[in-house]
Amino acid sequence: MPPKPHRVLLDRVSGYADEAAAYMRRRRVARRPFARLYYPEGRAADHAADSLSGAELFTAAGRLIEVAGKRPR
Amino acid sequence: MPDGQTSEAVSGEAAAGALAYLTEMSPDLRGGAILDAEGNVLAASGRPERWREDAAALLATADKAGEEPVEQLHIAGEQGEVFAVRQAGLVALAVTDRFALASVLLFDMRAILRDLAEGGDGKGRDGEEGVDAA
Repeated sequence: MPPKPHRVLLDRVSGYADEAAAYMRRRRVARRPFARLYYPEGRAADHAADSLSGAELFTAAGRLIEVAGKRPR
Repeated sequence: MPDGQTSEAVSGEAAAGALAYLTEMSPDLRGGAILDAEGNVLAASGRPERWREDAAALLATADKAGEEPVEQLHIAGEQGEVFAVRQAGLVALAVTDRFALASVLLFDMRAILRDLAEGGDGKGRDGEEGVDAA
């Protein structure tokens, strides 16, 4: 007997949700710190944390994170 | 309006309202500031003098890293993320928790700067520019 149509739809939606959740988990685990600069003509440049410019950017950004403190809520 | 210049001076009150609006729209936001073209703080979520100094240092470092001034930046570290946008002679800075929705936040930052530069309150007019009026 074929499954009821609404079951097929529910299974499909659940499948997409599971895929999305897994993607977000992988993204959080795999994501590394980065510094990305964007320029007027649409160009972007990444600066690795172990490069001189990247290290300076992370240091400067760290000061701003310190100034902002914790989330007020 | 070309980037790099505002049509009129932006008041601290308007900038503070725009920053409050950005904070309201962005659940991940920890703090932020809006600066004018000279680097003066128009509004900030905390100590304005620290925002002024540290924002100037960050933007100078970013400009030095390339061959031309940056338009926006996104630095994601273990402790949080920093965003900066230059538009219409104004600068918006935001510090968020990790994994903030970068594209949405950058869009909102650009929208409030554009509106402030056009003499608005940073909240858009009647939903124009993708920002709903309060």
